[in-house]
Amino acid sequence: MSRFLVKSPIWRSLSGSCGLLKTSSQSLLVGRYTLNRFPTNATFSTTRLLQHGHLKKPNPGEELKITFILKDGAQKTFEVAEGETMLDIAQGHNLDMEGACGGSCACSTCHVIVDPDYYDALPEPTDEENDMLDLAYGLTETSRLGCQIKMSKDIDGIRVALPAMTRNVSASDFS
Amino acid sequence: MMNIRTLTTNIPRKRVSIIGSGPSGFYTAYHLLKKSKIPLHVTIWEKLPVPFGLSRYGVAPDHPEVKNCEETFTQCAEENIQNNGLHKFEFIGGITIGEQISLQKLISEQDAVILSYGSSGEHKLNIPGESDTKGVFTSREFVSWYNGHPDYALNPKFMDFDWSHVSKVGIIGNGNVALDISRVLLSNKIDEIWKKTDINPVAISLLQKAPISNVKIIGRRDFIHSKFTNKELRELWALERYGIRGSISSEFFDVSKFSSINDRALKRRIEICSEYMKDFSERTKASYKKYEPLELTLDGSTRTWELDYLKAPIKIDKDANGNIKQLTVRNQLLTDENKLVDDTSKSDIVYGLDLLITSIGYAGKPMKEFSSLNIKFNKDRVITKDNRVLSTSDVAFPRLYATGWIQSGSQGVIVSTMMNAFNVADTVIADLSKNDSTTNSQPIDVTNIPHTTWKDWEEINKRELDKGKQSGKPREKFLTSDSMYKHN
Ligand SMILES: Cc1cc2nc3c(=O)[nH]c(=O)nc-3n(C[C@H](O)[C@H](O)[C@H](O)COP(=O)(O)OP(=O)(O)OC[C@H]3O[C@@H](n4cnc5c(N)ncnc54)[C@H](O)[C@@H]3O)c2cc1C
Ligand code: FES
Repeated sequence: MSRFLVKSPIWRSLSGSCGLLKTSSQSLLVGRYTLNRFPTNATFSTTRLLQHGHLKKPNPGEELKITFILKDGAQKTFEVAEGETMLDIAQGHNLDMEGACGGSCACSTCHVIVDPDYYDALPEPTDEENDMLDLAYGLTETSRLGCQIKMSKDIDGIRVALPAMTRNVSASDFS
Repeated sequence: MMNIRTLTTNIPRKRVSIIGSGPSGFYTAYHLLKKSKIPLHVTIWEKLPVPFGLSRYGVAPDHPEVKNCEETFTQCAEENIQNNGLHKFEFIGGITIGEQISLQKLISEQDAVILSYGSSGEHKLNIPGESDTKGVFTSREFVSWYNGHPDYALNPKFMDFDWSHVSKVGIIGNGNVALDISRVLLSNKIDEIWKKTDINPVAISLLQKAPISNVKIIGRRDFIHSKFTNKELRELWALERYGIRGSISSEFFDVSKFSSINDRALKRRIEICSEYMKDFSERTKASYKKYEPLELTLDGSTRTWELDYLKAPIKIDKDANGNIKQLTVRNQLLTDENKLVDDTSKSDIVYGLDLLITSIGYAGKPMKEFSSLNIKFNKDRVITKDNRVLSTSDVAFPRLYATGWIQSGSQGVIVSTMMNAFNVADTVIADLSKNDSTTNSQPIDVTNIPHTTWKDWEEINKRELDKGKQSGKPREKFLTSDSMYKHN
């Protein structure tokens, strides 16, 4: 756990600002430092799924929850049906996730950073997914491609962050 | 209540001109139209009658999923093409900025101008025989030919070349473009791959005449410094299921020397090569055991490719008919400072070749007006600071921005191009918000210049899709600009 907290700044900061992850004194400090980026009044919203795009409506009693942490730190929780991909969910709700290749595992614009608490519950990435993750911006140890992860009971309640667009990583790193 | 539609049509919009309709230009337009709260009139200018740049004319025909970004662009265009929303989008094809309309005019009559015209040239080896030998092509020519680019699709350089004698191929460079070209050549006879694609039908039928036996992918540096990405490398190895076999000499690939490597992508690159070079029965990971490899191709011939390293091309020799006969290369050494020097302990090597493709990079070219406008250009790219184009005296040129390959050099895939475009669009929005709300910009009059509009493209697109459908393909492209115009 601490390994991930150190490696993955978004989770490090969330552990301080939201208290959702197990915290260590170190991550609390970092958490306080990044409170600016994750304001305490960050919009929390649980939206009951309407018929968005081609998203299925979950059967009553079978709703699975997923929370997205947006680039500005706002959080959005949705109730979705089993089998939906994170890309479909994000696009169905107009979140800023591109999906340039239409979910074919060929572009890495659907990169998400998974809460380390849930990471191990996911089926392992295929070699093809890893090939595309090589090119993702701001890769972390819990990075995955949103188009390759389907919602299941195993990951009910999962939290994923959309990586902030920064200039830290330069285009030449991917040439 | 007042009708919002009548209200919005009268909004004075700020005018933004984007030069080039490839992924960088279109992603910039998309982000501007999605994020700007200031009303915008965004015009994309494109030199060809049709949009999408290298997505249409670069990305390999057997990578249709990469071209899916065109759907995002199309949706963006359709949502903003009517004059009834906050923004207005316009596509003007068949007009080259710097020729029919000057860059100067756009800069003085628009609120912002974005250079996204990609790399219109290519790097050269500058060795004897490079430009006057039959059977020597640049990657840009070759890729444009098989993708049906109107300037190359029916070019006599390709049509008049005798493909039926092409057995040994050399490719100089080892980026993804070199691997695309290798894959196209090596799998030329596998109909199940090509018949479902929009590859130029004239090109594939000529290519299919070539009895290719070996493709050598020649790099100046070593394996570690190869430029391809793992996805493309894996695809090439995976051709083993058709009897197309790859190798790397142990001189260049010795796993014991790689043990200290920690880089994620590099470690996986090493794994890919070592697994595929193992006997099928000895492979450990399931992903390398999906399809049993064939020893020979379906027609019973041997077909191989190899990654060759530490060689610098010296000269190309031709036969009596002017066709390529051989390529001479000089052995190289990598010094501790990572510099390349000639290895004088070994003599030069001669490779007998029937075809040579130089794939050492597309290169950006300055527009003619750059010198009179004092726009800074270095080697193969426009120089920017914080996304703003610099003048020769290193100050930001007012209202001028650059993105995509003309700004980064010919490197990076769609995702990096997209991120950069979003970033530039954010800067444009920030700058436009700083200025007061009025605009002095004017519409650019194109009534007397032949051009295509988005509606024309929709018609061309529909015809291409229809024509493709008839032969069970996703699309059949028009191969000349004339034929594109005639259908309107
Ligand atoms: C062979 C090849 C294969 C590739 N395959 C992949 C892949 O599989 N996956 C991937 O992610 N990326 C791939 N890429 C990279 C990808 O194509 C680039 O990242 C991207 O196209 C760069 O976009 P751009 O808009 O900067 O340039 P371009 O796509 O080149 O667009 C520039 C546009 O500007 C137009 N233009 C030029 N001059 C003018 C002018 N004066 N006035 C008006 N218009 C002008 C051109 O006609 C062109 O349409 C590949 C690149 C190549 C070369
Ligand atoms: S949408 Fe392209 S890799 Fe996921």
